[in-house]
Amino acid sequence: MIAISTSHLSKTYTAGFRGKRQIHALQDFSLDVESGQIFSLLGPNGAGKTTFIKILLSLTRKTGGSARLMDFPVSDHKARRHVGYLPENHRYPGYLTGEQVLHSFGTLSGISGATIRSRTTSMLELVGMKEWRNTKVKKYSKGMMQRLGLAQAMINEPDLLFLDEPTDGVDPVGRAEIRDLLKNLRTRGTTIFLNSHLLSEVELISDRVAILDRGRLLRVGTVDELTSSGERYHIGIEGTLPEAFRTEAAAKVLSFSEAKNGLTIDVESIAGLNAMIDMLRRHHVQIINIVKERSTLEESFLNLIRREVSA
Amino acid sequence: MKFLALIRLTLRELAAKATFIILAAISTIVLLGLAAAVGTTTTPDGTVLQVFGQQASPPMPEDQIAEAIRGMQAGLAGGLFTGIILFGIFATAGVIPDALEKGTVDLYLSKPIARWELLLGKYLGAVAAIFVNVLYFMAGAWIIFGIKCGVWDTRILLSTFTITYMFACLYAVVVFLAVLTRNTPVSIILVYLYLFVVGPVLQNRETVLFLISDNTIYRSFIDGLSYLFPQLDAMRTNGAKQLLAQEMDWKPFLQSFLSASAFFLGGAVLLKQRDF
Repeated sequence: MIAISTSHLSKTYTAGFRGKRQIHALQDFSLDVESGQIFSLLGPNGAGKTTFIKILLSLTRKTGGSARLMDFPVSDHKARRHVGYLPENHRYPGYLTGEQVLHSFGTLSGISGATIRSRTTSMLELVGMKEWRNTKVKKYSKGMMQRLGLAQAMINEPDLLFLDEPTDGVDPVGRAEIRDLLKNLRTRGTTIFLNSHLLSEVELISDRVAILDRGRLLRVGTVDELTSSGERYHIGIEGTLPEAFRTEAAAKVLSFSEAKNGLTIDVESIAGLNAMIDMLRRHHVQIINIVKERSTLEESFLNLIRREVSA
Repeated sequence: MKFLALIRLTLRELAAKATFIILAAISTIVLLGLAAAVGTTTTPDGTVLQVFGQQASPPMPEDQIAEAIRGMQAGLAGGLFTGIILFGIFATAGVIPDALEKGTVDLYLSKPIARWELLLGKYLGAVAAIFVNVLYFMAGAWIIFGIKCGVWDTRILLSTFTITYMFACLYAVVVFLAVLTRNTPVSIILVYLYLFVVGPVLQNRETVLFLISDNTIYRSFIDGLSYLFPQLDAMRTNGAKQLLAQEMDWKPFLQSFLSASAFFLGGAVLLKQRDF
């Protein structure tokens, strides 16, 4: 089942005198997110990540294309019945206690008072806020607000959870707890749509990742697909490379770089790798292992964005 | 359920505000003053109205005393109306702009509620808060007049609804301005501008604005403009008539209802168009 489906979605803001300046926040954005996944949206500041979430939640109107949530058009407020949302920089009324926040926003989600009461304790326990349930929100720290926000987003046991920077202000232990919580929700079948700047965390939990820049979708794929660095291999060898090998490689214009206990090569195809192995063997170099190299999600992201900027 | 949650949230929000606590404190002080001031004493010639223990009227029969009390109640209701307009608007004007602030509106609108429902829930919450305050004052005054003067006239309790209704009509204009500007101080300034400048000028259009030109189109336009807004003055006059057991004219109430509905609808349409 598809939880989120957008087709040729676009959003253009007008600015300046008489709206003459146009800002394309999203352009021809088509994306499908399957149910039960942790899907992350990455992009530099101003890429259109928050605009995308806001269109899906009908906080912002699209200027073109279509968008559906759980098979409802996003303009239909019933679509949000099974949705939870933790916005970035959320503000809960300071005069409410944590428990009252859950009760108030739970009621707005359309669930009964009895259900909310039965879930409140477990939700607060889940996010480590049980002992602060009767404290006024205005006394909460940033990290505590994030935890409460997460409990609020989950109070209606949503099928689809939007989290905008969920670990912002949370300490490393808390971040690990939130990661475990999200993994647990995934096993229950909840779709999680994550918007985060912490790429190392995204890498740890995401099933699929989309990268966007200046409103355009650059790449979508699994973390593995996005982090494999093309055809780059590390060949582990015993001893050092003989001089004759270097001379022949230079003559055949085969580029390589020497690395610890071996060499790294960039090849266009698997044939290139085999040619290098043949040459090493001809020079009696003992090959220990061959490993296809991967980059981190952060490196892949930065490479992609840099390529996009230079293009 | 969702409306109730919004109303309850708004009531809590207002109860947490100092302005609302001050409003309740002022009501309490006035009621205590009233309790200390009014009273009646019976003489062989009839009942005498007393203010701070001093004779304030000649001996009168019971029905004339009741009429005099009704006059006092009408004055009190008029004073309360002015107080509610001044302080009530000030205390509640922030309800809509606060709800539409970044970080708050996201939380509301990500729930399965339509934008007009959010607006209506907040509007009803603010009106309910004013109703509670007016009821507190009017019920207090009713008990004081009942105990100290022996006049248990329920019309003073009915005026709770009339005053709240008048406030609700004006608050629809505030809602429209709040959605338009998303700024509390600007909304307050604009509504006070209407109350103290535009409203009175339109009210006295025949002696002010009609002197500028006798052009029919111009005068019709000015007439139309004055009926665009809730008829606060006419409603206040009729509110006093209600307390004095005189015949009321319901037209200003109906016209104000239509005007308030139009302003509220305008606010809802503006809100629907807005990006957050």
